Amino acid sequence: MRLTINGVPRDVPAGDHETLLAVIRERLQLTGTKEGCARGECGACTVLIDGRAAYSCLTLAAGCADSAVTTIEGLGRADALHPLQQAFIEQDALQCGFCTPGQLLAAAALIARTPRPSEDDVRVALSGNLCRCGTYPKLVRAVMQAAEMMRAEP
Amino acid sequence: MERFQYTRARTIPEAIGIGAQATTAQQGAPVRFLAGGTTLVDLMKLNVEHPTRLVDINHLALNAIEHMPDGGLRIGALVRNAALAHDATVMKDYRVLSEALLSGASAQLRNVATTGGNLLQRTRCMYFRNTAMACNKREPGSGCSAIAGDNRSLAILGTSPQCIATNPSDMNVALAALDATVQVQGSKGERTIPFRDFHLLPGDTPHRETVLEPGDLVTHVTLAAPRAGATSRYLKLRDRASYEFALASAAVIVEVSGGRFGNVSIAMGGIGTKPWRMTAAEQALAGAPVDEATIVRAAKLALADAKPQSENGFKVELAQRCLAHALRLATGMAAS
Amino acid sequence: MSAARGSNPVGAPETPKVLGGKLPRIDGPLKVTGRAVYTSDIALPGMLFAIPVRSTIARGRIVSIDANAARKLPGVKAVYHRGNIKAFFRTAPPKGFSGLIDEKRPPFEDDEVRYYGQYVAVAVAQTMEQAKAAADAVRVQYAAAAHNVGKQLGADKPMKVESERGDADKAFASAPVKVDQVYITPTEVHNPIELHATVASWEKGHVTLYETSQAILNHQDVLHQMLGVPVENVRVITHFLGSGFGGKLWPWTHSILAAGVAREVGAPVKLVVSRQSMFEAVGHRPRTQQHFRLGATPEGKLVSLSHEYLNQTSELDDYKEDCGEATPFMYSVPNLRVASALSRGNIGTPTAMRGPGAVPGLFAMESAMDELAIALKMDPIELRKRNEPTQDESNKLPFSSRHLLECMQVGAEKFGWAQRDPAVGAMKRDGLTIGWGVAACSWGAMRSDAQASVEITREGTAIVKTATQDVGTGTYTVLAIIVAEATGIAIDRVDVQLGDTRLPMGPISGGSWVTASVIPAVSNAARDAVKALLGMATSGPNPAFKGAKPEDLQLVDGRVKRKGEASSGVALGDVLARANVRSAIGHGKSATTMGGAESRKYSLHSYGAQFAEVTWHPQTARLRVSRFTSVIDAGRMLNPKPARNQIEGAVVMGIGMALLEESRYDQRYGAPINSNLADYMVSTNADAPPIDVTFLDYPDLVLNEMGARGVGEIGLAGTAAAITAAVYHATGVRVRELPVRIEDLLGA
Repeated sequence: MRLTINGVPRDVPAGDHETLLAVIRERLQLTGTKEGCARGECGACTVLIDGRAAYSCLTLAAGCADSAVTTIEGLGRADALHPLQQAFIEQDALQCGFCTPGQLLAAAALIARTPRPSEDDVRVALSGNLCRCGTYPKLVRAVMQAAEMMRAEP
Repeated sequence: MERFQYTRARTIPEAIGIGAQATTAQQGAPVRFLAGGTTLVDLMKLNVEHPTRLVDINHLALNAIEHMPDGGLRIGALVRNAALAHDATVMKDYRVLSEALLSGASAQLRNVATTGGNLLQRTRCMYFRNTAMACNKREPGSGCSAIAGDNRSLAILGTSPQCIATNPSDMNVALAALDATVQVQGSKGERTIPFRDFHLLPGDTPHRETVLEPGDLVTHVTLAAPRAGATSRYLKLRDRASYEFALASAAVIVEVSGGRFGNVSIAMGGIGTKPWRMTAAEQALAGAPVDEATIVRAAKLALADAKPQSENGFKVELAQRCLAHALRLATGMAAS
Repeated sequence: MSAARGSNPVGAPETPKVLGGKLPRIDGPLKVTGRAVYTSDIALPGMLFAIPVRSTIARGRIVSIDANAARKLPGVKAVYHRGNIKAFFRTAPPKGFSGLIDEKRPPFEDDEVRYYGQYVAVAVAQTMEQAKAAADAVRVQYAAAAHNVGKQLGADKPMKVESERGDADKAFASAPVKVDQVYITPTEVHNPIELHATVASWEKGHVTLYETSQAILNHQDVLHQMLGVPVENVRVITHFLGSGFGGKLWPWTHSILAAGVAREVGAPVKLVVSRQSMFEAVGHRPRTQQHFRLGATPEGKLVSLSHEYLNQTSELDDYKEDCGEATPFMYSVPNLRVASALSRGNIGTPTAMRGPGAVPGLFAMESAMDELAIALKMDPIELRKRNEPTQDESNKLPFSSRHLLECMQVGAEKFGWAQRDPAVGAMKRDGLTIGWGVAACSWGAMRSDAQASVEITREGTAIVKTATQDVGTGTYTVLAIIVAEATGIAIDRVDVQLGDTRLPMGPISGGSWVTASVIPAVSNAARDAVKALLGMATSGPNPAFKGAKPEDLQLVDGRVKRKGEASSGVALGDVLARANVRSAIGHGKSATTMGGAESRKYSLHSYGAQFAEVTWHPQTARLRVSRFTSVIDAGRMLNPKPARNQIEGAVVMGIGMALLEESRYDQRYGAPINSNLADYMVSTNADAPPIDVTFLDYPDLVLNEMGARGVGEIGLAGTAAAITAAVYHATGVRVRELPVRIEDLLGA
């Protein structure tokens, strides 16, 4: 199966029954995408499919053959963090970090669609990403900050 | 997940042809159409569904929202919930639908889930989703664990001794109020099904949830032209502020003139085994004065036939309050 | 962050410049780029996958296990059960913080099923999916017996008195004002988003376990005992933990199984616990049933306090939820009795969950105090003022540092408490009814043994090592700060190594002890390393500062300089190079307070005040927490940024505890029924209100030289009581059994 992950087309020897999450983590070793519930109830496996946030645990990889998939590894680089990543660090919008990749991708999808989100927009957009550490107030601040940074430097 | 044959359908007839090979289109169907997959893949992972063939219909040309000559709207079965909710016409003319869609699930699920798929969304009854426990909907004849079990979230209307599972969809509640029609193509051609006839009551066959037969493909949902001067709202009550199915929800479309109700359409969710149309309440409202007493009376009437279970008796009152408040919102008697 | 408040009564050193700042966490870049490697991310060559088979009865006997069909499935290597795996040993009684395990029976020890979801077999295959298919294909026959997963708790033995003074019964009988109520907290599940997981790999009799552990050294000790191999043959690694909240403190059966299975198959094995099993086999906070009786004078002076409570535990293990922990010292009362007993059920063994004991205990006590204030028609803060003790009345020890009333006062100012109209339902805003509630909280301040090393290298970097864990609280960062402060080495040149049993002994990540325990050790190690370095700078064959005394020198910005001189000095690396030494290594330790001198001289606790605002929409019975203020007295905040994050996060969890969370059991199947994250609800982003956190910042120098106590737990204590008090204020409904549900409020 041919998948385009983070802009790179790859031929993956995956079965039709495999979820996108399993292919990303187990076949491609892109382990930044996490599994927390395996059934669309926590958001840890969030990726972007053609720019839209989706749960990779409920997505069959076979269905993504014509799509561009972005994982956390494709959001920014270690030496050039995405404004969201920068804002997450500055606002301390994480604790254990396990849900963080999913939060970032959900936030990236929000800002792409809504460059000037309200705080309520952020809360709604991130409500499909559980954070048991409870960093929600900081997540909201970080996304607001990142959106502002991105508007200033498009 | 069990193995299956995956086929990407290029045309509607191809999809229908494969679908028609199945013996049933209901629980346990050997052939399933894959759209968003948010219900189907989930249930396959839980071993609740185990199709041997999956027909990926995502590439069929069914993803448009079309304005009809009669002023109505034709929504392709593959239009994603998020796209439908944010469509300018839907937001303006079918607010109840937009609000219902946005109150459901999470951004991720709304991005992926489709109009057709949402029609066919399966119950969230915990016993249906747990193969270690008996469930007539999942395995006909095995018994219903929910009736004497944890049934707080389950139905109080349309139940049977075999099943009390709730239809979980928010979209369906709005479509029921809107008198939508469902367009289906099957091996015998096209047909149009009024929304109220699309879902079945559980009765003695809770595994049969819709009128769909093998090969039937939902292609569109059609909405009539918006009623001039009507306002519509969707109100959903639940424990958590987001990302939770309704304990009770109400979709209302009301016309008001001269301080009296005109035509009123009401459907409710979270309380019925199918999206529940409240005809008695609608009739009671029509022509009655827009005031608190009328609204409360109609809300009580709406739930007159409710049959609560051991843990969901509160839903009767909650649903009454939900409907009453949805009517207040739609008539401007309350702002929030 | 708030400015330090009040005076500095014990002459603490000024807050150093790196401390008390707002440094971002040093592991942030790894976590935001997905490069932080968690246990389930580990992939080893030839690794196999194990999936346990879960019992589908809650009590009974395994009659037979048929794995023939499972073994024939593609990719399946083996199916193990009691009949074909090397037996595991039990642990000896624990000593200190080693050998601790809550579910003491090893997996597969007998054929008895004691709870639903107990592991009865385990399938091993080449992929996770194949292992799951095999586990599903194993046929187990049971002889089921009657089980008990009922909600009504009953003592299995007479109540045991934990603390007593005066005659609580007699004083209660004659008290003019009384509260006599039972409070219930439900079974709650930790549910960190990271699933428990183990990757086990054997080589020549040595096993390496990549673990989701909050206590790697204990894990090592338990596994060595249960596997029957020398302790030095067990290595446990937890570099990043996707949080634990206590659930990952002690080993659970899956870890032992993973190690045992890897030993059998001769290949590395990964076992990731399913979300469903997280409700069954890795502990939970047990259900509690607490009877509070308060007696008071009409002036609001407590004369009697009786706290009798039960907590549910499993059939085999005596897990005690220490609900009475804070009861004896919280308020001044001459007659007090705290007693408890266990109630048994066919449930998995409970374990510590964030603020164990104090969190359910303070829900009950602070609810009772609020009810007493209402009975007295007295402001609840005033009631606390009138009952503030001058010493810990349970043991007559002075408090090391207690500023509960100041927490209340500061919180009241920040929250606007003076505007409160105490009448039920009297406060309105935007068509909503507003409810305000307050509760006090406390959490024990303790320190455990810890060791650390700090190495200053020729590259001018520092490496700090200690075998503790960073569970998301910012341990990596605070240790880097301490070392940077002590060595003058820039923080980005400090390498913090944690989470490996090969490192010097570090504390468990539990009880909010890490900060208090490990900081003195690291601080001592850093000073020791500096001392070694300065020794090399001043003496030996070719010292950089010949003739100088170490005390004349200082470390600034990675260089050694003479004090008071403007010269640029000598780079650290050059000092080492001239001495021809690879690095300067220092060692440090700190000793436990438990049983130590401080614990005999002082009552050591943190305190706080929680203020909740709820909005109530009477027409729809919609209740939301709309605002929260938390004022915490937990010593000096070494790094306020993650500390504030801890309190906010605990409040968010507390909102879940108050309004959403309950693990429910199906009475017929004996199974946790809402065992997933859709039906067991935790707070979402939309449930979290603005949260205002203030730290009083009084250093507790009895506890350690920095005066720092931990903040991991205290934010959850009192939160639910503040919320239910606010619910009462808004609705007139007092909910004594959590969570508050819509149906509880329909009568309002």
